[in-house]
Amino acid sequence: MKRYWILAAFLLSLAFAAGDKLVIAYQGGAVTLDPHMRNETTTLAWQHHIFETPFFYNPQGKVVPVLAESIKNVDPNTWIMKIRKGVKFHDGSTMTAADVAFSIMRAATHPKSQMKAYVGKVSNVKIIDDYTVEIDTKVPDPLLPAHLDHAAIIPKAYFDKVGEEGFGKHPIGTGPYKFVEWLNADHLTLVRFEDYWGTKPDFKNVVLKNIPQGATRVAGLLSGEIDIAEKVLPQDFARVERSGRATVKQTPGVRVIYVAMDYWRKYGSEGLPAGAENPFLNPEARKAVYMAINEEAIVKKIMGGAATVAPQFLAKVHEGYSPNIHRFPYDPKAARKILEDLGYGDKDGDGWLELPTKDGKRVPFELRIDAPNDRYLNDAQIAQAIASMLRDIGIKASVNAVPKKVFFPNMTKGHFTLYMAGWGSMDSINTMFSMFHSKDPEGLYGRFNREHYHNPKVDALIEKAAQTFDAGQRNDLLVQAMDIAMPVDVAYVPLHYENVIAGVAKGVDFTPRPDEYLHAFEAKKK
Amino acid sequence: MLRYLLIRTVQTIIAVLAVATLIFLGLQMTGDPMENLAPQDMSEAQVEELRKAYGLDKPIHVQYVRFMEKLLEGNLGISFLSGEPALKLILERFPTTLNLVLVSMLIAVFFGLPMGVAAAIRADSWVDRTLRFLSVLGISAPTFWIGVMLILIFAVNLGWLPSSGLSSWKHYIMPAFTLSLYRIALFLRMVRSTMLDVLNQDFIRTARAKGLMERVVVYKHALRNALIPFITVAGLQFGALMAGAVVTEKIFAIPGMNRLALDALYSDDRPVIIAFIIVTAVLFAVVNLVVDLLYALIDPRVRYA
Repeated sequence: MKRYWILAAFLLSLAFAAGDKLVIAYQGGAVTLDPHMRNETTTLAWQHHIFETPFFYNPQGKVVPVLAESIKNVDPNTWIMKIRKGVKFHDGSTMTAADVAFSIMRAATHPKSQMKAYVGKVSNVKIIDDYTVEIDTKVPDPLLPAHLDHAAIIPKAYFDKVGEEGFGKHPIGTGPYKFVEWLNADHLTLVRFEDYWGTKPDFKNVVLKNIPQGATRVAGLLSGEIDIAEKVLPQDFARVERSGRATVKQTPGVRVIYVAMDYWRKYGSEGLPAGAENPFLNPEARKAVYMAINEEAIVKKIMGGAATVAPQFLAKVHEGYSPNIHRFPYDPKAARKILEDLGYGDKDGDGWLELPTKDGKRVPFELRIDAPNDRYLNDAQIAQAIASMLRDIGIKASVNAVPKKVFFPNMTKGHFTLYMAGWGSMDSINTMFSMFHSKDPEGLYGRFNREHYHNPKVDALIEKAAQTFDAGQRNDLLVQAMDIAMPVDVAYVPLHYENVIAGVAKGVDFTPRPDEYLHAFEAKKK
Repeated sequence: MLRYLLIRTVQTIIAVLAVATLIFLGLQMTGDPMENLAPQDMSEAQVEELRKAYGLDKPIHVQYVRFMEKLLEGNLGISFLSGEPALKLILERFPTTLNLVLVSMLIAVFFGLPMGVAAAIRADSWVDRTLRFLSVLGISAPTFWIGVMLILIFAVNLGWLPSSGLSSWKHYIMPAFTLSLYRIALFLRMVRSTMLDVLNQDFIRTARAKGLMERVVVYKHALRNALIPFITVAGLQFGALMAGAVVTEKIFAIPGMNRLALDALYSDDRPVIIAFIIVTAVLFAVVNLVVDLLYALIDPRVRYA
């Protein structure tokens, strides 16, 4: 009889153990567990289980204090940050100002730190008392609290003891989960940290897995091996829903897919016929391209509903999202008319619009659209659709879709005339500086402004916003800049925001975040 | 024999150095690694700082000399991404790939070899025709498709087998079968044609004429002679699988070294790419050596002195 009881207890414990375990399948895996060395979404998402930062974005896109309690700006280059009390590291030690100062400085100055885009402006962190630090910056950074979302806090004493390599092998932080075991870029096993300062997560045991193939992630979800599967592909939506074992959850993301056009070469733009004039120097011509694209159809037919039509470059959760900007209507006839009025009409009657050349001839308006074919969801197909829409208004468009490894270097070198790419960042100041500010000789601004968009008014507004500490004023300045750059200048043609998609098993309650980080501690038991 | 082994070892070392040089130079032609290594929101000055930290700011010839010096010490560099030694990352995953490939090769030999013999001794019978027909299917079905179909049937619909990973014997079934299918078909066709060749030779007729049992003729005399080309191909297939099970490792999310190398290629983690290719080169050299030694074992006429 006793034996049966033991057996029953054992079975019961198995049942509980199964209910306590959460397995998440990602499309990639963390390549390091050193929190300052790799700035890439999946690597950071895995690390977020172990480490926390002074501030972080909540799922609504607002910056909220995590390990910090509050922060105050004393003068443009000085901040006083109060640190949360009673926070324990996984080794039982208490987090103090010394750990915070050490960690922020490491992220800001380590030669291999990839977090310098965020905290590189920090010049010094002084310890005032056990729970207060002073953060000094080289140049004013009104967004410092938001930028501290990339400064994971690690225990100084433990780090000094085990060294950099030892720390990477067995990392310790303050996060809701403790490190158990991992294989680089393949899986990470975690267990709930019972002394966690915040709300303890529902699931005790967590395994984060790298399953690169979409079909395999869905298979695991449907066979019950996986509880949450990242990036379920649109073609699998129906199958997941039909199975009755899981459901597809979508959130509009912050990554915008856009079309950019050559803004700087009158002749010699590489996607046009040799010697032809580049029509896209004129914002009207860019507007024509915008109006020729039927984005509703792209979202519905190509994206299978896994995207949200983008009226502008920034998303709703972003600072600087303008309520004044709407999409230009889809109107191919008007689009063609604009190009005809600009002098690109079809004079020889073959149906194709024409471009004048340097030596006074006219050639058919041929256009090569460049796009990556392995970077964004259905990227090559979107480019194909755009090509066929442009052909409808008389532009003889063709597509050159190549792997991202080839695409991005060519994009940097400016080999394109009209191309499709994507951009995702929570930090609007960074977005504005990278994409909308004109290029400067020192290479500080306009790093991703490959098409050389430039408008002194926009530049001034961005620079001013970057110096403005008041969030409301900063937002207004960014909105003003956007109100010029998008509807007036047509700096880019926004297509859609990629939705963040997750397949979620029936027993789990989970909604993906707009910033694409997938966290086990945000999953609840149903 | 010892002398022979020594010469082969020296040859291997020279080959590895040549391969290392080629791959080092080849990678230089693929463009600036910082394009993929540096996060997109870093400023150009920060990217340069990172480049310096990785030692990529030095002129190519300086980088090459340093790379070769380290290589001679057996140091293949530190992975840009993980900060761990590149060779360690590869070797950590080597056993996983090795196990998978060994299982696949065993399955392939176990089925392919007897099927090939059976087809040869009953040439043009219905057995032969059926096997040949199946082998065409096996050779032409793409690995990717087989893998996904197996997952759909056995993991999703029937729920018998796990779809990803490699942590129990059950996990091996689908990926090993996916990898072995092509090899079964290949071995079948190979063994069949070489057996037919051998069976038509004079010494087989002599063997039959002196009244040996058909079983002895086929297995002791014919098969033994047909084995030499078979072993060559099997050795090459083993090497090819070790360095080429990329698709299968990706579909079944197996933490093997091929997947690691593929990821490294995408993210331009050059030390890992180089380490993978060097490990592969050494492996091929070892496999070829083993194959050569096996020749001597099977065919007494072969001698290494």
